[in-house]
Amino acid sequence: MAEGPLSAGAALWWIIGAALVAWGVCSACSPRLPGVLAIPRWFAGSWLGRVLALCAWGGAGWHLFCQRP
Amino acid sequence: MVLVGLAAAGAFAWWEGGLDQSTTAAHIGVLAAIGVAFAAAVVAGRGRQRQPSLAWVRGPWSLRRHLAEDRTGTLGAGVWVSLTLAVIGWDLNSFAHQSRALPTLSGIFGHLTASHGGRAATVALWLALGALIALGWRRAR
Repeated sequence: MAEGPLSAGAALWWIIGAALVAWGVCSACSPRLPGVLAIPRWFAGSWLGRVLALCAWGGAGWHLFCQRP
Repeated sequence: MVLVGLAAAGAFAWWEGGLDQSTTAAHIGVLAAIGVAFAAAVVAGRGRQRQPSLAWVRGPWSLRRHLAEDRTGTLGAGVWVSLTLAVIGWDLNSFAHQSRALPTLSGIFGHLTASHGGRAATVALWLALGALIALGWRRAR
């Protein structure tokens, strides 16, 4: 990550993160909106979706905990 | 049984959190967790999946029907899809440019996992998500 003042790239990550949190709170407050758990629940709806989600989960874990320079 | 599983996952997360990412032990630990998640999904899920894979693939494409049945829910799902695409797109853009001004998502996580506690907490969250995907939302036997 860039040192010193916030870079444009880091600022956009903050904006995306804030939007995710804001939408997560909105959807948690309204029973008619799908919440954040709707995403893994949708993938867990079939064997194919579950396997795809597990592959993505495993790949992310391998990258984060074993590979990242 | 659940408490034993939680204690084992917590101990594993703390142990894995103390390892350097280049060590063989760290690699074996992550591969073992991935193997356990796949095995648990198969053992717990036999005959308990909610819908066939083909119906699941076809499901999202009938957008007009979804909008007619549940307009608010469909638009809400659209916001989640847009935000997910924003994360993926900006990460790919940052990765392609390889600039210090454009940090990637894994670079940001790298700051979180630099300490023992941060790495252990991230491993614990990763395990919780994996358990949810492998075991969650099954049909009752």
